[in-house]
Amino acid sequence: MTTALLTMKKISKVFETEELETHALKDISFTINKGDYVSISGPSGCGKSTLLSIMGLLDVSTTGEYFIEGVNVTDLTLDQAAEVRNAKIGFIFQSFNLIDELSVFDNVALPLRYSSEKPNSKKIKQRVTQCLEQVGLSHRIAHKPNQLSGGQQQRVAIARALVAEPAILLVDEPTGNLDSKSGDLVMDVLEKLNESGTTICMVTHDPRYADMAKTKIQLLDGTILQAPLVKIAS
Amino acid sequence: MSLFTYQLKQAYSGLKQKPGFVFSVVSTMGITLGALLCVLTLNYLLLLEPLPYPEQERIFVAQHHIIDAKKETQKVAFSYPGLVELYKSRVAFEQSAMLYYSQDVITSHRNQPLVNTTYVTPELHQILASPMALGRMFEASEALNTNSPVAMLSYVTWQQAYEGRADILHLKINIRGVSYQVIGVLAENFVEPELAEIGRETQVWLPWDFNVESAESRYNFGNIQNNFHFIGQLKKSVNQSQAQQLITPLVSELWQEKFVAKFDFFQGWSVDMRVRSVKNIMLGESKSFAVMLLAGIVGLVLIACANIANLFMSRTAEKHRQMSIQAAIGATKKQLFSAMLAETSLLMLMAIIFALVIAKTGFYLMQQYLGALLPRVNELSLNLITFGSALLITAILALFFAKLTTNMINYRGLNTTLQSSGKGSGLQVSKKTRQILIASQVALATLLVFANISLLKNAMRTINAPIGFSTNNISTLVLNLSSTQAYSQEDAIPTMAEIMTKLEALPQVESVAQGNSPLGGFGIKALTKSTGNKKYTPYFKRVDQRYFNMIEQPLLQGENFTIIDRRDNNNKMIVNQAFAQQLKADGAVIGMLLPSIGEPDFKIVGIVKDITIPGDTAFGSDDTAASVPRVYAPSGLSGRSFMLKFKPGQSVSRQQLAALLAKIDSRYSVFSFNKISDNLNQRLFTEITTAIATAMLALITFLLAGIGLYGILSYSTQMRRLELGTRMAVGAKRHDLTLMIIKDNVNPIVLGVLLSLITLVSGYFFFIDALSFYITSQLIPMFAVTIFLISSLSLLVCYLPLRKIINLPAINSLRGTE
Ligand SMILES: Nc1ncnc2c1ncn2[C@@H]1O[C@H](COP(=O)(O)OP(=O)(O)OP(=O)(O)O)[C@@H](O)[C@H]1O
Ligand SMILES: [Mg+2]
Repeated sequence: MTTALLTMKKISKVFETEELETHALKDISFTINKGDYVSISGPSGCGKSTLLSIMGLLDVSTTGEYFIEGVNVTDLTLDQAAEVRNAKIGFIFQSFNLIDELSVFDNVALPLRYSSEKPNSKKIKQRVTQCLEQVGLSHRIAHKPNQLSGGQQQRVAIARALVAEPAILLVDEPTGNLDSKSGDLVMDVLEKLNESGTTICMVTHDPRYADMAKTKIQLLDGTILQAPLVKIAS
Repeated sequence: MSLFTYQLKQAYSGLKQKPGFVFSVVSTMGITLGALLCVLTLNYLLLLEPLPYPEQERIFVAQHHIIDAKKETQKVAFSYPGLVELYKSRVAFEQSAMLYYSQDVITSHRNQPLVNTTYVTPELHQILASPMALGRMFEASEALNTNSPVAMLSYVTWQQAYEGRADILHLKINIRGVSYQVIGVLAENFVEPELAEIGRETQVWLPWDFNVESAESRYNFGNIQNNFHFIGQLKKSVNQSQAQQLITPLVSELWQEKFVAKFDFFQGWSVDMRVRSVKNIMLGESKSFAVMLLAGIVGLVLIACANIANLFMSRTAEKHRQMSIQAAIGATKKQLFSAMLAETSLLMLMAIIFALVIAKTGFYLMQQYLGALLPRVNELSLNLITFGSALLITAILALFFAKLTTNMINYRGLNTTLQSSGKGSGLQVSKKTRQILIASQVALATLLVFANISLLKNAMRTINAPIGFSTNNISTLVLNLSSTQAYSQEDAIPTMAEIMTKLEALPQVESVAQGNSPLGGFGIKALTKSTGNKKYTPYFKRVDQRYFNMIEQPLLQGENFTIIDRRDNNNKMIVNQAFAQQLKADGAVIGMLLPSIGEPDFKIVGIVKDITIPGDTAFGSDDTAASVPRVYAPSGLSGRSFMLKFKPGQSVSRQQLAALLAKIDSRYSVFSFNKISDNLNQRLFTEITTAIATAMLALITFLLAGIGLYGILSYSTQMRRLELGTRMAVGAKRHDLTLMIIKDNVNPIVLGVLLSLITLVSGYFFFIDALSFYITSQLIPMFAVTIFLISSLSLLVCYLPLRKIINLPAINSLRGTE
């Protein structure tokens, strides 16, 4: 059962500043299938985060085409991209990016509030509790993020990424700001999620965590160095 | 102290690197504080500074209130003999003077200038102890009934009309055929009491005896005019209300006996004397105007302060790290405060220096343009009060801003700032502070904008009111007769006819009418209805047969006057609609007879459309919106006023007219020659000035509030960039975020509007008397307009800083948020 979830065709990204052009990505092509666990690694500045943000429609590529579930999403408007992000993509950031003023519950519920399906509050409550249980934090539901440890905050962030039942989780250095014990806990959660069917694409420096992935992408200077297990899209 | 000097130097070099910040603070505070210093000085001058006269608190003006049978004041004006009797009586006043304001042409001067003249008894300048530049003031030799032809000139007249010539005291000047010896010139610093009209300055002072009233009218108690005035120094033993009680019966009884008793029409009318301090008279409405101006400017300054407070707080947030380092190496809280104070002092000092320049400019502008609106503006200058308040304001604001910003700093937290990586650990202006700033800005702006647009609306209503007649290409020409010889009206008729013919023959002239401009020449006529004995007091004017045609005032019914009506002095009358409706509900009044006092009944022959003269109200009423009843009768043939309608784009000069007159009869010269439209604009001067000033103030308030709110909101939006990026990452669309920012700020905005509403309502209850003139139901839509404007502004400034975030891919907000 190998359904293509994301497909990138010759994606390039050039950052233009006044003085110089940076070719952050050069002709990147690959496919991620449903249920995959992909890791992206490479030296600092090689374009990992840039690739992830294009995959997550947070940014647009300079050239190339990008498909999600077979639909071309290369030239979406900002609002269309937001809709796709909401429905299909869950983000987990290195620095958690929780909103300080909101409780754990409200942080997790956030994607549902922007959903075009407009779930009612009962449904939201049910779903949020379920996700928090999955990450083992249902007892912290009313806390504010700054009352939690770093590892707990990252697990809240995972719950938030899961809440809208996305097609894929995009994870950028989830353990970068955590000690190894909390990091391991977070990775456990991710692994379990993958086992239960969630597609994951994760940027990491840590070879230990990269090895947990089924598919490994190595980036160097904006190109895919070695992708033995990745089907290169024709 | 040496530490503070060091810190001043530090602050100076720190500020040099932030020219934008310095510019914003110095310009915003400089301009608003400049305006504040300007109106503070004005208010001090008007409210507190005594008039420059000895024992000015004993100088009072007596006013002659004519009260009708319904006990309502119909007019405030003396009758000529009533004034003279009061003056002669010496009751209550130790010394008193009569004044008669007029305008005359100096015929001996090569330019034949029209000047403001005041005919006065000698006590006036003695009471005021008027300083002289040259010669002497009027003395006993110029007292009542001495007929001594001498004149005093104002300093400006001496300088301008006579080029300051040294032999001025050897000069004689000719006015109305009388040759007056110049005996004195008033000093430059003489301040004339402005009793009748703000900004009117007497150019030539002449003895009372020479005023233009005819011998007959000097004994007529019905000769009631508002250019007769009485001023005096109260006896030491008499106070204001005693004075009123002493003089009222004296004047009233005389008027009853000599006037009321003779005419049925005035049955039940009386006179009430009011005694008011000269200061009170001079300041009049200006006091509340000045206080309102002060309130407006204080509001502006507060808005500016809120803006600057926000700038300072943002800057502190920016400097937090630098301060942490200072704290780490041992700077105490007090030292941090004094470093901050050094910076705020420096900035406020620069602002206040700029403000003094602005204030000085403001004085100049007020003297140039508001001399006719505000009394005493010529006395305005940068004085001790200005400098004192400037110093005080500088100190208070420097301390306030320094305190405000140091209070933001969590001194204990400074060390943790250092320990953390610096990412996301920046100090933030707290949400509460931000909301207070927003609410206060909105409240102040709503109040100020509301007040200004209400005043603007009022002024515009008067300016734009259709006048109901044409002023196009029409000028008025009034002739001056310089002859002392008795000169009957009959003699003038052929001369006037000749002048008319010659004027009509001028190629530039389209038509000529004999009579006054529609803006002037109205008196009051006491009329009764032949049936029912009801009394009326419409405005009354004599016009020729061409008048209505020339000014395009439509005759709705009946017929116009003819030259024969004028020649034969027929008592025909044309009434306007307003008066026709007063007489008879259906307005069908043609043919009606109206008995008048001491002459044959008037017969109504026509009805004309109403006209609106700006500022005119019906006799005994101050409702400016109601139409004014007016009646017209045929004028005689000897009048010395003309209206000239020129062909489009053409005109003649005063000199051309003077030459034409000289050829016909050298006794006549040009008294005045003005475009009616200019006169109309002069009448609207207050409204036009108010309109310009309030529109500008509203605009400045709006801009200032806009800039301030933008500053606060763009700062807080900037602080929320990462949060906004995160929300975008999880699927928030642009309108979701716009709505969210608006929702977050709607509370302080609504609170601000409510605060302004509460202030307005309580202001209404506390100052109901002072404000009643301004309060109408019109204000509700005005308030709605204001709220609409301020809310739109607030929404716009919510959106503007957000725009840069939500219209770019989310990654821009997620990255680089320091
Ligand atoms: N907004 C931008 N403007 C200009 N250049 C950029 C921008 N964002 C990224 N880059 C450049 O693109 C390249 C790739 O950056 P990216 O952040 O994707 O690297 P990374 O692989 O995630 O590095 P790290 O492991 O350090 O996070 C870098 O050379 C970076 O300097
Ligand atoms: Mg990265």
